[in-house]
Amino acid sequence: MRAAVGLMLSHGGAGLEPAMSRPDYEQSALHHGCLLVLLRGVGPSRARILQRAFEKVRRVSHIRVNDSSGNPRSIWIRFVHDHPVEHNDWGDFQTHRRLLGLITIGKFDNQTELNELCRQHESLKVRYGSTLYESRAIFFGPDEPPLKTIGEAQESAPAPVARRLQDDFTTPSNFKSQAFFYREQDSCADLESRISDFASALFWVLESRRLERSREKADKVSLLLAPFEKRDFVGLDMESRNNRKRCVGRVMKNLADLSLQAGLVEEALSLYHNANETLRSVGDSLWVGATEEGLCAASAILLYPQMREIETLHRNSSLQEAGTSPLKSTPEKWRASDATKKISSNEATANNVDSGAAAARLTSNSSSCSSVSSLVTTATNSSASDTPTTSSSSTSTLSAAPIPGHHRNGELPGNILKAEEITSYYRKAIINYSKYRHAATVETEAALKASRICIEQNRPLDVAMFLQSIMYINLSMTEAERVKRFEIITELYQQIGYQRKAAFFQRLAALKHVQQGSQAPDWNQSYRLMLGSFTGYLLCLDPLEVLENAAGWPSLQIDLVQSLITAARRLGHSALATRHMTFLLQTQWDNMSLTEQSEMAVQLKNLSAQCEGSPVPLVLENGTVIPPANLTDLPYCLDLQVKDLPAHLRPQRIKVAKADSGPFLFTPIHFNSMDRRDKKKDKNKIAFLWVQNDLSEVTVRLRNPLPFELPVTDMRLLTNGVVFESLPQSIVLQPHVPTYVSLHGTPIETGQLDLQGYSTHTLGVKSNCRLKHMRGRNFPPNYLVDVIPALPRIAVKSSLPQTATFSNMNSADIVVTSASLTLYNGESSSCTITITNESETLPLEHLEVNINSNVEQELQKKIFRIDEEALKAKLPVPPQGSIDFELHIYAEADFVCPLPPASVHSNAATGDYGATSLPHHSTMSASGHASLPSRVSSPQHRRNEPQNSSFRSTFSGGQHSLAALSLQPGGAAGPSSLSSQCSQHIEAQVRMKYSGGEALTAGYCRQCAVSFNLELLPSAQITSWDVLPAEIASQFYLVLDISNLTAQEMSLNYTDTKNILIEAKESCRVPIPVDRCSLEQVVAARAAEVAENLEKELCFRTQLLSFNDALSKLCSTHIAEKVKIHWLLTGTDIKGIASLRGIVLSQSMVDLTAVSPLQWAISFQDTPVQPHSEIVCTVGQRSLLSIQLTNQSLQPLRNLVLSIKFYQDYLNGMENYNLETRVAISGPNRIAIPLLEKQEQKQHTCSVIFFTPGRFKASVECCSNPPKEQPASVLTRSCPAGSLEENASLFTSSYDEQQAHVWKFIPPIEVTVVEQ
Amino acid sequence: MAFCIAVIGKDNAPMYLTTSDMEQELDLQYHVHAALDVVEEKCLIGKGAPESKELYLGLLYSTENHKIYGFVTNSRVKFIVVIDSSNVALRENEVRAIFRNLHILYTDAVCNPFYIPGEPLASKKFDRAVQKLMNGNA
Repeated sequence: MRAAVGLMLSHGGAGLEPAMSRPDYEQSALHHGCLLVLLRGVGPSRARILQRAFEKVRRVSHIRVNDSSGNPRSIWIRFVHDHPVEHNDWGDFQTHRRLLGLITIGKFDNQTELNELCRQHESLKVRYGSTLYESRAIFFGPDEPPLKTIGEAQESAPAPVARRLQDDFTTPSNFKSQAFFYREQDSCADLESRISDFASALFWVLESRRLERSREKADKVSLLLAPFEKRDFVGLDMESRNNRKRCVGRVMKNLADLSLQAGLVEEALSLYHNANETLRSVGDSLWVGATEEGLCAASAILLYPQMREIETLHRNSSLQEAGTSPLKSTPEKWRASDATKKISSNEATANNVDSGAAAARLTSNSSSCSSVSSLVTTATNSSASDTPTTSSSSTSTLSAAPIPGHHRNGELPGNILKAEEITSYYRKAIINYSKYRHAATVETEAALKASRICIEQNRPLDVAMFLQSIMYINLSMTEAERVKRFEIITELYQQIGYQRKAAFFQRLAALKHVQQGSQAPDWNQSYRLMLGSFTGYLLCLDPLEVLENAAGWPSLQIDLVQSLITAARRLGHSALATRHMTFLLQTQWDNMSLTEQSEMAVQLKNLSAQCEGSPVPLVLENGTVIPPANLTDLPYCLDLQVKDLPAHLRPQRIKVAKADSGPFLFTPIHFNSMDRRDKKKDKNKIAFLWVQNDLSEVTVRLRNPLPFELPVTDMRLLTNGVVFESLPQSIVLQPHVPTYVSLHGTPIETGQLDLQGYSTHTLGVKSNCRLKHMRGRNFPPNYLVDVIPALPRIAVKSSLPQTATFSNMNSADIVVTSASLTLYNGESSSCTITITNESETLPLEHLEVNINSNVEQELQKKIFRIDEEALKAKLPVPPQGSIDFELHIYAEADFVCPLPPASVHSNAATGDYGATSLPHHSTMSASGHASLPSRVSSPQHRRNEPQNSSFRSTFSGGQHSLAALSLQPGGAAGPSSLSSQCSQHIEAQVRMKYSGGEALTAGYCRQCAVSFNLELLPSAQITSWDVLPAEIASQFYLVLDISNLTAQEMSLNYTDTKNILIEAKESCRVPIPVDRCSLEQVVAARAAEVAENLEKELCFRTQLLSFNDALSKLCSTHIAEKVKIHWLLTGTDIKGIASLRGIVLSQSMVDLTAVSPLQWAISFQDTPVQPHSEIVCTVGQRSLLSIQLTNQSLQPLRNLVLSIKFYQDYLNGMENYNLETRVAISGPNRIAIPLLEKQEQKQHTCSVIFFTPGRFKASVECCSNPPKEQPASVLTRSCPAGSLEENASLFTSSYDEQQAHVWKFIPPIEVTVVEQ
Repeated sequence: MAFCIAVIGKDNAPMYLTTSDMEQELDLQYHVHAALDVVEEKCLIGKGAPESKELYLGLLYSTENHKIYGFVTNSRVKFIVVIDSSNVALRENEVRAIFRNLHILYTDAVCNPFYIPGEPLASKKFDRAVQKLMNGNA
């Protein structure tokens, strides 16, 4: 309590100087017509309780009284909370400065407190006693104690509550004022009427004074003096004419003041005019100024009655306006329109006091009565900044408030000052005042009043002029007062929208608070004002907004923020200092030089050492929220890349999405993939997927713009959407070097993940660096990644050793392990692949294995084999469980050297077969067909001429004959691509698609692969082959030259019973008896060929001669099926099977392989010739040879030539056909058979005479020669495919006619000729 | 002669500022910045008839130490000249002359095809000329 009183006294005690030292900055022109009442809270301040009372009292700012003659008077009260006593001394000069009334409001709990309240009231009365007309005390007593008796008493008699309070507590005897007692929770319903009574009491006293004054005789009046004038008039002749006039003038002016206060504005106006004239004539400048000001005041009261209502509200609303539009908007909108609006709504009755308006008035007033409670002040500030209502709206609510308009614009008195005159009168008044040093306060106040009027008149330049003039007034005042003056100027500048000026003075005020030499620098105020001046410099607390606007003067902004930082630091609020420093770095980075940048960075580091910065809004005590500032560009992010999962963990669709079904390879039109188009629109949408619970990665490229090392710690990804566990990352960035940083994290949920940026902790400040705030780098505002349900992970092992190098096959990145294996051609092996489910919870439910390799599909199927059924049966694999499966590998290779069809034909033309024909082919292949495989490679040939290198080269050329393959029938093409001579590498990937759990239902899987490196070594090689007739017609001999290409001895098992050993790199020849190809098969093959030909014909193929020989194919497969050569490397367990697949047979071989269409029945000397039967005849004796041919085949044979030849076989490879001297045949030995129908028989008989004894052989053969004319197929080609039968027959014939066939009687007839 | 010369763009962004006393540069910037309110107000008044508009705005305001004069070109580029209050010898006509010369210098500077309108004036030639103007021997 003492402290409170002390505070009040200290406020009051400021004015011990002779002149008015403290300008009343709140004063406006309209206050000239108000009764000044001191409204003061006494006793221990209990603001909240008393607040209601204050409010109620303040609401009675205006009353209407009927004067003695019945005219209504409008009386205005001005409540102040503090009034320097010495201001009363100026009461003669300007009566409105006189304190007329006193109201104290106090709260007491007991008698002692009540006594104290009374004492204080009395002391205030004494203090202002010289001018006080009336006083009231309002006392709030304690609430009624909850005693039953009292409660009952209250019920019985509710009215005398106050009385009983007064009964309970008695005021001390020396307390003479009228007191109102209320309970604490009382609604004080009668308080307003009591205050009205009080106001009217004041009025009546005032009125009496006025009347008294007006009745004074002109010659009797005494000289009224301003306080400082007392000395000036000492010893002057008061009776001089001049002085008399001066007295009269001053009294007249005084009377005018009183009339103005008493509601007689018009009278006051004319009195002012008179006084003005009177005083001007005597050159009383000070009082002339006063009359001029009075004129202005009286005119303003008439012209701008609305100023009463909005005088204080303007301040708030303009503040809001400043907040919304930093750049000045034209201030007309709130000035011009108000006046008309107010005047039109004057008729509202006094009862309709809008409580909202009253409340607003109260709050605005309370900013000036800060001694009541600092809480109220802060509330005002916050409410002013929080609710951005425009001034027009706030004034329109006020328009409901009662404004007693005695005078309409139309009936204004004639001597009123016009709007523009007011300004000039004020100017004059100020000039007059400025002549007196002691009137500085009055001058200041006049200037303020003038500027307020000019604000009302919408003349900002005049406002600026008046405000500027205040700066010139040399007023000796305390620093606090000076600051106050700056603040009030700021406020007024803000009202006219001069934000820059306002900011300038606000900053000055802030600096004044803490200027050097100041005893008690008030950093708090300084900070507040600095913050307030932000708008003037186009700054705002939100760094993003500042960056967005990028306006204002950078150097000033930097300076201001730096001052702010200093203030915050001095306040001891290091969190704020850090925040502002971060703000400075973020917003002004581009406006700072390099050295400044690094200086600031270091400063920030020092500041944050005291309090770490974090990206949360700070709330000041007054409710101001300081939004977070982030060091978005420190370090500078060059780019940000969302990384896909590693290839072997990458999720993919189990079923591949349907491809575009358009007819074009490329088309910009998307036929049925709407979703894909949608994705393209989304620029920030990431094309790939992340998997729940899988570590994901984002790469950020950062650059440190500072010249020193920048440690960045705790870097994490900032995400939205699904829960994401981010792993912190730390890095030290070297100056100016772009550095890649990988940020990791694990999505915990499924759904869409929104990657917004990353957070850093650098220079002691935590920052959230969001992509959308990174400017000038074309980043999307965020990245969206879809997170799919968790997928199991597997580990794959193979039983084979790993390779050193991974393959370079495509999609090698999914390979997780590798295996290598070396096999000899024909060998089989297997590999166990173990799959372990590594995931903790998820079972492996889906597993798909397929094999990719660099060989063709057909061959690959032969090499690798997996039992998929068995594998499927092993699923699912529980978490942490494992399964294994076998991969069977067979070293498939080509064991034979193929022959192209071309050579087959040429071979046939010779009509020879067997190894004897080989030399011919060697010459052929030497004649330029380097790629032509040939029988040159015959081991026999090699044995014969081992030194011949030229043949060697041909040989090697033959081994690598790949070009010939394209001519091969389709089925045989695959295996022949293998080169059997050298070791061969096959790369393969066993790809496994696996999935499980929810992801499986969602249709996702993962893929990994085992890379196989298979090396195939050559084993056995069939270098040449031939077909020989066997001893029986149902069989033939397949004679093979097999070489062992391994480095070991090889045991070859070529029939069921026969074995042969071959040394390393050696070869040997083996005969294998094989059953002939049956006639049915041949027939079927023919039919197939016909169909094939027909098909080709339909396709308009014309290359008839390149038609594949179905028969030869058939024979080849027949041999491959029948003959399996098992080999074994002796001494090891390496074994394998060499197949003869792909063997190429010449026409003559085919004829031998297949069962002949001709059935021979030969009799010699009427004895049928049996195979290997001994036929003996004597020299010179005629022997009869009878040959019977039967066509067993299904079609007729044409152009057959039956020929009989005798020869001698020397059994050394030489055969002698020149037997003219030894044997003679009677009858033709060549018989042409033009046509041999089906099942037709032909008989030919001839006689043979041998001249010499010896062993002879007779070869009986039947050739079919191709016809001379064009083949019939040419004709059929042009035929439409009408009748299949016809075509078929034509084809059949054409086939037979084209081909030269030789059918032999096997074995040749052996005749032993003996001497007679 | 003059104390400080400033060129301010039409969006009130500073384009050029020089002063004969570098120590006070920041303080002067504050003053010049505060003067912009009055400049804008005066421009607003002269809005009605642009052809007859007086480019010279006269004394914007004065402080204990400085008198601040304003000038606005037709493209709304503002020139502010700060003159020492103690320098009573300087007549208003001379201030006008300073502005006229400054206007010519500015026009020359922006005629440079490499100058981007709105950017700060970095031309050394302009700077030299303005320094000369400021020192009163233009």
